[in-house]
Amino acid sequence: MASCTYTVPDKSASGDNFYGAVICNQIYIDYFWNTYGFSGNKAYWDDGWGWDDCCNTNKALGRAFNACYLLTYSASDYANDSWSSPILNWGRRLVRENIDDLRSKCGDGSAIARSFSGGLVEVYLGFFYSKDVPGRAETLVHESRHQDGQAHNANFPTGSVFGAGKSGADSTWGYEGAWMYGALYLWWFYAAGARTTSALRDRARQRGNLVIDNAFATHPGFSI
Amino acid sequence: MKTRQGTDTPVVGSVDTLKIKVVEHPFSFRDSPDEHLTALIVTAINHMGGVGEHAEEAYQRALAALRDHVDAVVKTVAAEYSRVPENQYLDRWSLVQLFAELPHPSALATLERILASDIPPERSKDPHGHSTVGEEVMIRTTAVDALARLHAAKIVEAGRILLRYAEHPTFSIRRACVQAVMETGSPDEQKNLQKILQKRGETSLLEIRRRDVREVPQATGGRFIVRDDRKNEPPSPGLKGRPAI
Repeated sequence: MASCTYTVPDKSASGDNFYGAVICNQIYIDYFWNTYGFSGNKAYWDDGWGWDDCCNTNKALGRAFNACYLLTYSASDYANDSWSSPILNWGRRLVRENIDDLRSKCGDGSAIARSFSGGLVEVYLGFFYSKDVPGRAETLVHESRHQDGQAHNANFPTGSVFGAGKSGADSTWGYEGAWMYGALYLWWFYAAGARTTSALRDRARQRGNLVIDNAFATHPGFSI
Repeated sequence: MKTRQGTDTPVVGSVDTLKIKVVEHPFSFRDSPDEHLTALIVTAINHMGGVGEHAEEAYQRALAALRDHVDAVVKTVAAEYSRVPENQYLDRWSLVQLFAELPHPSALATLERILASDIPPERSKDPHGHSTVGEEVMIRTTAVDALARLHAAKIVEAGRILLRYAEHPTFSIRRACVQAVMETGSPDEQKNLQKILQKRGETSLLEIRRRDVREVPQATGGRFIVRDDRKNEPPSPGLKGRPAI
């Protein structure tokens, strides 16, 4: 068993303060808990992670729920999650159909998430406290794509911030790997995200461009 | 009454535990005696992360309150940026985003300093998941955005800085500067940029253009059969919650 600590700024640009007031409704809590892989995992979300205090967005579970809210409602026509619509609409469907076992852990202090076989995804301290709310949604989409069957297939290009020359990149945009799914989700959030601010959309654009510039062995040739 | 989840499966073995300490906000604003102004800055940064039908409206109202004192805001934010610890990446980004939202020539020196500063080495053990160098790059590409907005407002000095950092060692920063000059620069500045890129053998950067998301290849979803119990529809997004903590 690991024990971890974290200092949380109560007011910051991450988005958590405002999402907190929205998610604090039993209908949402039940929906997120039962839809996005929390169900059956009370033990992993207890002991300080927020199970008994899930409206508190300083705690991990509230922050995970914030990402679930963004994932669920960022398309203006959120009820349409058909596969023929943009990924902003069906990102939530991808996550709910591929992650059925979502667990929180300390990790090494900087790790974000890891995907295991059988729908198991672990999220670590960095997921809750290093990432803003759109970045957390992107992570869930990224890990869902791995669960969906697409592993990384290339090494990061020269100069990549993710570790030049190391494995973990996608070969091309057309490979439709986890990096492409995450970047495309952020791109759509920037272009058409609803119920958010221009600042968070700008933040999504910056992160999406970082992925496009650094996570493909062959640069896709465009920017957000 | 506390909101709650249903009871759940006990786990055999042990699980991790977490303790958090909450601080009011991540800034100190030492040497900034105007508490009203610093409160307005904190409010604007807090509203960056707004959610709901009126989130953008509230954010723009918070920015409007800063526009009345933009000189003092730029000075205060610039001083604070240099004090925020390196590892508070999102907080540092939020200060730079304010420069982009409130374009003002008095921010030029700070923006140039940000671009000129060395990127610290990678601190993350797992940069694939979370790269601190990546966070540093996003702070700098946001500074490029702020310069592009100043340049679009005919601040010539911003163009000079953008041209200079089109030769930055980091690819994303070069790419962002090149796009900013091509989008906001005069014909002379664009010619100068092309000369710089030719000299560096990097004219391919000119081919990377900003595109509308609708024009690029989309992801193909739905390759697997959906289990019936996962087709449930979400509740409406606007239900009232109780005040959160």
